[in-house]
Formats: sequence, C-alpha cells, structure tokens
Amino acid sequence: MAADMKFAKTHEWIRPEAGGLATVGISAYAVEALTDLVFMQLPAVGRKVKAGESIGEIESVKAVSDMYAPVSGEIVEVNTALPGQLETLGKDPYGAGWIVRIRPDDQAEMGTLLDQAAYDALVKS
Amino acid sequence: MTARVLPVWWDDAADGPTNMAADELLADEAERHGGLVVRLYGWSTPTVSLGGFQRLADAEGCDAIAGLPIVRRPSGGGAIIHGTDLTYAAAVPKPHPWGSTPQALYDAMHAAMAATLAEFGIAARLHLPSAADPPADAFLCFSRRSPGDLVAAFPDDAGADASTTFGSKIMGSAQRRLGTAVLQHGSLLLETCTAVGPAARHHGLAEMARGGSWGVPEVAGRWLDRVAAALEIVRDSQPRSFREGREAAIEDRAARFRDPRWTGRR
Repeated sequence: MAADMKFAKTHEWIRPEAGGLATVGISAYAVEALTDLVFMQLPAVGRKVKAGESIGEIESVKAVSDMYAPVSGEIVEVNTALPGQLETLGKDPYGAGWIVRIRPDDQAEMGTLLDQAAYDALVKS
Repeated sequence: MTARVLPVWWDDAADGPTNMAADELLADEAERHGGLVVRLYGWSTPTVSLGGFQRLADAEGCDAIAGLPIVRRPSGGGAIIHGTDLTYAAAVPKPHPWGSTPQALYDAMHAAMAATLAEFGIAARLHLPSAADPPADAFLCFSRRSPGDLVAAFPDDAGADASTTFGSKIMGSAQRRLGTAVLQHGSLLLETCTAVGPAARHHGLAEMARGGSWGVPEVAGRWLDRVAAALEIVRDSQPRSFREGREAAIEDRAARFRDPRWTGRR
C-alpha cells in the first residue's frame, strides 16, 4: 500500500493521485467483514459530495452498507467494471478494486484522516 | 458502551412505510442510548417487504404475493411476507461488541431465540451451510439459507426425520450498516400466512409447537431477556410505543418509503 494512503473511520481508503485527483476504495477489513458481496451501486460522475456523505451502497448476502466520501469534492470517475466483478474487491481492494476517483475541494482535508497505523489500531480495538 | 438496560418498545400495527421510517429513527435512538435498542411491531395489513436491492419486477412477477402492498426495506436480504410473523428491529452503535461485524448481531439475536424456543419444546439451531442449501439469492427470505439463520426441526412435506433435518427456517434477519450504527430487521414466523399462495407459504411456530402452550408475549419477553442477559444488562420494556411522540419525524421519513422511486429503485 502507498505510504500516503489514508483511511476514514467508516473504512474507506483514499490515495492521492497525479493531477490533483484521489482514488477511493474500501478497506480489506471492511470487505472481509461484509462477506459474500452481491451488488453494488455507484455514484454518478460529476456529482459533488461532502465528506461523510454516502457515495454508494454495497450489498452482501444479508446486509446493505453505505460507502462514504472520505473528503469533499467532485466524483470524476467511477469503476464501472466493479459491480460486474465484485470478487475483485476481495482480491485487490487497494488496486483493481478501487471504487471512485474524486477531485478533492481541499487536498489538506486528507490530512485529517487516519494513517495506516491508526486505522489498524481502530479495527483491532 | 455503557448502557445498562435494553430498551424494548412494543408497537401497534402500522403500514410498511411507517414501520420502515420508525426503524430508521430507532438507529438514531441506539446512538443516543449508547447500546442495543429493540422495537417489536406488527403490520396493519399483510405486506411484502423487499430487501434493499431486490428487483421490484421479481415481486411483481410472483403470483403468490399478488395484490399485497410492497415496501422496500433499507436493510438487505430477501423478501418477507409480514402479517403472521413477529417483526423486530434492533439497532446498535457500530462500536458496540455486536456492531462491528454483521454476523455478531445476527448470531446473538438468533441464538437467544433458539434457546427460548427450546423452553417451549421447539428444537431450533443456527443454520450451518451445506451443499444441499437452497440458493442464497432466492426471492423469499424464508426460502433462502445462510449461516446463522434460525432453522427448526419440522417434518417437511417429504416426510424427513424431524429430529435431524432442521429443515424449516423460522427466523431470518438482515442489516443496514450505516455510518455509525447498525439497523437489523428480523422476522420470526408465527404461523403460515394464508394471505399468499402456496408457493410463498412457510411453517411457523403454531405448526411446529404441535398444540403446545406458547404465546407471542411470552416468547418475545423471554427471548429479549436472554438477549439482555448475554450483554449482562436487563430488559426495560417501555411504557409507550416507540412511535408516540415521534409522529412528525416518522411521517417525514415515511414519505421516502411511500415514494415509487424508492420502491422501484431496482
């Protein structure tokens, strides 16, 4: 995982990319906890979101979970292949299992999120 | 999590949108309370509740449930026919020991019911997956099997050995995992619902108890006592319904569940 990857307490990760963009996905811990994913609903490209706002939903056999924007910004790309191959989330949650790319309103907002060590401590608590 | 009691509300029957709206508010209540909260309720008319992402077309194409009102739940899982079941909503903050993973709350609620039913002479256990399981994506919740479902011993139509098959699902639950809380919906079948066609009928407690003595308040009360005991707290039955005093907020949220765009979202 990239050293600059950050995590939200709601289990989304975000990684800065070139051009002022950032990639967002959900953590391996969250994918494993949900188990047996069956459906995913992604947001529309161009949608403006606030940090903490739902950007989509993911359903496992018995639970529907919201996915939340870790920072405020505009959704500029979504991984349209993902709903058709949800197993990718389990196999490569920090790579091919990315969910959206976002243009953050304020890059500094990522600094308010958890680093890897803090996130690991959160899920072990 | 410092809550020392398990608040339980027993609500009168209401329509689907009102019940779903009240349950969303229950999740908010769990956060205020700082622990598990439970609402038990009925339905003003037999109603089909769809799982959060089930296809409306599948419900409309199911002849056995034709004519029944449909409401879409915020939670996952399969379609449930309400009317002769005991419906519950349970909510916990995510930091609660039963909130961190989906299976914890399922198993806690179902294991407590299995122990309760044993007191009434009904053998039930948590389902263990097997190759003979029906599909996990069957349209009706009670036609599905997944780990942790509560299954009971009942002589099925093929005449299997009741003591060993545990072939009838009698309680199922599904969740909505919100940002900071978990809302779990569940249903215990009380008796076969005759408002639907044979293809959508499932046995309930009345058939399994074979005339034995049981009543809904006794079963529910002992069940929730066991749930509370597992958390080393006590049940605290509330004197008023959950909806009382929250009518405006519930009606405000119910509008979404009445909106055809919500019901037909998939």
